[in-house]
Amino acid sequence: MAERPLHIVAYCCHYCAYAAADLAGVLRLRYPAETRIVELPCTGRLDPLEVLHAFEHGADGVMVAGCLEGDCHFRAGNLNARRRVGRIQELLSRVGLEPGRIEMVNMSSAMGRQFADAAARITEQIRALGPSPLYPPIHATAAAPDGAPPS
Amino acid sequence: AKEAVMAREHDPETSVHVFMMDMRAFSKGYEAYYQRAREQYGIQYTRCRISALREDPESHDLFVRYASGQWPGASGEKELTTDHSPLTTDSFDLVVLSVGMEISEPVRRLGRDLGVELDDYGFCHTALFQPLETSRPGIYAAGPFREPKDIPESVIDASGAAAAASALLAPSRGRLARFVEYPPERAITQEEPRLGVFVCHCGSNIAGFLDVPDVTAYASHLPGVVHADHLLYACSQDSTATIQRRIAEHNLNRVVVASCTPLTHAPLFQDVLRQAGLNEFLLTMANIRNQCSWVHSEDRQAATAKAKDLVRMAVARTVTLEPLTRQTVAVAEAALVIGGGPAGMTACLTLADQGYAVHLVEREPKLGGNLRHIHTLLPPSDGSPAPDPQRLLADLEGRVTAHPRITLHLEAEVEDVHGFVGNFTSRIRRTNQPDDSIGHSVLVVAVGAQEYRGPEYGYGTDARILTQQEFEARLSSTADGSRGPRRVVMIQCVGPAEQTCARTCCATALKNALRLKDLHPASEVVVLYRDMRTYGFKERLYTQARSRGVVFMRYDEDHKPHVDVSRQGPGVRVTAWDGASGETMAIDADLVVLSMPMVPSEGSRHLATTLKVPVDADGWFLEAHVKLRPVEFANSGIYLAGAAHYPKLLDESLAQAQAAASRAATILARPTLSSGGVVAMVNEAACVGCLTCVRVCPLGIPVVDAARVGIGGTMGTAYIEPTICQGCGTCVGECPAGAIELLHYRHHQVEQQVMSLFAEPAVGEAR
Amino acid sequence: MIIAEQKPFEEIKGLLGEAEKVLVVGCGTCVTVCFAGGEKEAGILATSLRMATRIDGQPKDVTHQTVQRQCEWEYIDPLAESVRQADIVLSLGCGIGVQALAERFPEAIVVPGLNTSFLGLPTEQGVWEERCAACGSCILGLTGGICPIARCAKQLLNGPCGGSQDGRCEIGHDTPCAWQLIYDRLKAQNRLHLLLEIQPAKNWSTSRDGGPRRITREDLRLAAEVSE
Repeated sequence: MAERPLHIVAYCCHYCAYAAADLAGVLRLRYPAETRIVELPCTGRLDPLEVLHAFEHGADGVMVAGCLEGDCHFRAGNLNARRRVGRIQELLSRVGLEPGRIEMVNMSSAMGRQFADAAARITEQIRALGPSPLYPPIHATAAAPDGAPPS
Repeated sequence: AKEAVMAREHDPETSVHVFMMDMRAFSKGYEAYYQRAREQYGIQYTRCRISALREDPESHDLFVRYASGQWPGASGEKELTTDHSPLTTDSFDLVVLSVGMEISEPVRRLGRDLGVELDDYGFCHTALFQPLETSRPGIYAAGPFREPKDIPESVIDASGAAAAASALLAPSRGRLARFVEYPPERAITQEEPRLGVFVCHCGSNIAGFLDVPDVTAYASHLPGVVHADHLLYACSQDSTATIQRRIAEHNLNRVVVASCTPLTHAPLFQDVLRQAGLNEFLLTMANIRNQCSWVHSEDRQAATAKAKDLVRMAVARTVTLEPLTRQTVAVAEAALVIGGGPAGMTACLTLADQGYAVHLVEREPKLGGNLRHIHTLLPPSDGSPAPDPQRLLADLEGRVTAHPRITLHLEAEVEDVHGFVGNFTSRIRRTNQPDDSIGHSVLVVAVGAQEYRGPEYGYGTDARILTQQEFEARLSSTADGSRGPRRVVMIQCVGPAEQTCARTCCATALKNALRLKDLHPASEVVVLYRDMRTYGFKERLYTQARSRGVVFMRYDEDHKPHVDVSRQGPGVRVTAWDGASGETMAIDADLVVLSMPMVPSEGSRHLATTLKVPVDADGWFLEAHVKLRPVEFANSGIYLAGAAHYPKLLDESLAQAQAAASRAATILARPTLSSGGVVAMVNEAACVGCLTCVRVCPLGIPVVDAARVGIGGTMGTAYIEPTICQGCGTCVGECPAGAIELLHYRHHQVEQQVMSLFAEPAVGEAR
Repeated sequence: MIIAEQKPFEEIKGLLGEAEKVLVVGCGTCVTVCFAGGEKEAGILATSLRMATRIDGQPKDVTHQTVQRQCEWEYIDPLAESVRQADIVLSLGCGIGVQALAERFPEAIVVPGLNTSFLGLPTEQGVWEERCAACGSCILGLTGGICPIARCAKQLLNGPCGGSQDGRCEIGHDTPCAWQLIYDRLKAQNRLHLLLEIQPAKNWSTSRDGGPRRITREDLRLAAEVSE
């Protein structure tokens, strides 16, 4: 059987990283096709519980991309995100996943090249770690994980 | 320094050597950057003039010859210092010339065609008191066209020039505006999700690299989707009309557009939804162009599979979307300006001239601020005589006092400020009078700065040791024909300025030195300096001062001058180490003038706390973004002008005041403000009142309100005012009770989008 | 407020043993505020356990619920059905919460997920310090509002010991000497005379030394209804 393609979730902040990813497109840069961008208003919105749920459901890797430090549109959202990514790495290692499956990167909206490079590098890093042992998820549907509040 | 640091960041192996005459790191944070460049990035700086640059014919390396070395006692490690030491030759791979800005020929031509006065170098001439006005009424100039300058000052100029122009246009404001009428919004919350998915070809931009019809067919089978279609250009007029028609035909209540990026096109498709009677928040765009077809153009199969994933994720998210309302808040008609110096008064007049009511609060009994201490100005670059600053003061004061739309509050201070952009209420405490309460929609902080008065170099112990401000006052009261001082020593970079450059002291010292030379040509002036930071056109003063015989002696931080006040004698003995000769010299001076830096005004930290706006480590008010938002705070509706931001020369303060007024007018010009939408909302039934959101919010918006009852009947839960929340979601990420939701990015909305990625086989897998 | 912290993950896994259905119960009061056992931490622990046990090859079915306060019968009663279905209950409440669950649900196996640490306050976001030892007879009125029982390593009553150096306690440089704090504060308030009075040896019977404590307020107890 062919190797399973990877699932890499890229949480990108609206003002910088998402725009940098757009710019990478404008510049026609190429990077591996495994990343799936999820836009957040700011990486400060990153919720460790949501990220863990993504891993629980089989994410092979997570990239968190925020503004350059000191340049957050909301002053310090990216610094809060960096702190939370550190905690998630600890949580991953205690459950038996490699902490290298999540990484935070910082870039400005003008850094399309850096986005493409980071996406390529992190994809390679995840590829080296191999697919997550948690895929496919036990609940194959996209049902709300527990703890998610009703709408 | 920036290019050097970037070269090092790009390749840490690169060694970078900067040759310079003086380091002009004059503005906010520049000095710290220069220090980081030296200490953290190991960039080497050498003061010299390069005497030769030539290429090695064989290796093609470049040889730079310069005088280098160090004198006994000099601190060689941090900076090499010398002028006359032996020549050194180094080789480099690349030499970058740091050349000055100049005006290009087409711009000169433009200036001539517009009929505005240009100087010999082609820079546009503007008056000191009207820094953004050209010689021709109705034409304004901004940015390096006036004088070489950095991005923040250029952005400030541009906003200020816009304010000047809009004062002229004030009578016709809004006359050309037309308002779009939307049909009433359909209530959809009770309906089952009925999604329409529209996949865009974007000509061949998307369709050339992935299979659009296949993605469309796939989308049509996703849960909740009742209609899927593909369009050649989704953003074209006939396509948007089609989308509108399909919404009506299929009774769609949510829409996914799979096309380019929402950063450019979300407003357009949101408008389509509104035209069709749907709330604008019921749209998701799947970015299958910038983030898919354009970056995976080499692999059609992978691009198609990824586009399907992105559409599936967008559909999963869209099913969960809910309509959000923006609230409209009436905008109070007045502005509040704090500080009655030149910046504050200019901000007032700029706003009042545009037709807005302004309250000006000044804590002193008289207007004027630091302008009261300025008696002479730098001569303008065109060589005309310097205008009289006291005339400007009288003019500003007269206009402010007489202006029918300006209300003056003298001997008054702002005590507290409640509310938010569009609707602030401030309590003004007045001396000997009851407190006053003012309603206003915007607030401009123009509280200025004050001259530092510390004990350095014996200040305060001897009447012959003065500050530049005191010296300037003495010069201005000098009677004609009086005897001048035999010798004056000026010491630069005093006290706090040893650590951070205070920007204005060099120019002030030169101004006063030249003024002294005008009054008493026989007086000797010795300036002890570390770097002369005469930026822009101020460089001419430096040249002028040297040609008029002002003596400049460079010292470094390890060899500070010493002022001996105890010694008996006719003058004050100043002992100074001279960087050019390496010798220590004793100078007896009639007067020692200390270039005391400007420091933040007393009470500015208190005001910052009152307004909940940030100050930096030194106490300067901190703008929202150094380059992009230089005159406003991150907190909406609060603006910043003048030396409260950082020490500034008069024309810079005036330009910044106009800029702040310009930005403030963008609020005042509107009858209502719309806010809300993507904002954080507390679920009181889950909140424990732990204060985490209060502490983590970058804007200090959440409060714990004792009147609200939380989980288990605890007293006090968090409340986040939706009209001022900026929607970053930091509180959501941090809340330990999971009690805060960011609307449009609710937990289940983000999770559904992510989880749907794992619900189906991924890229390339057999389906 | 009660300050607690989560037990090491391995220890928690050990406590769960072979149980397959695990109910994690969070608490919405003190332990939420100190980021040890609120809704979010309960969710994080639940998903972590699900992941870890799947990776270990013995997947457990872990769910979580958070109640307002684990130390009130009324708040924990609604858990009855979930508790009944679970093989084991992992309480993220303080020691009181764990025991409340155990007492209310006699058949359930209840294990603690937290170590209940002390009574204290957050001195800044992310830093908690002990302030009270619940000794049962408060002397803060004599010591300038600074407790030598909770904050002096030796629980001294009449001034510092010889281990007080530069205002720091000899047990660790991060610990201020409580008696230095008391002295500085009373001096600033011109109340040093309070320290001249020698405090007799403390009566510890109101503390833990007197055995488990109980407070009964007859004025608050509801009268038993009189039956006909």
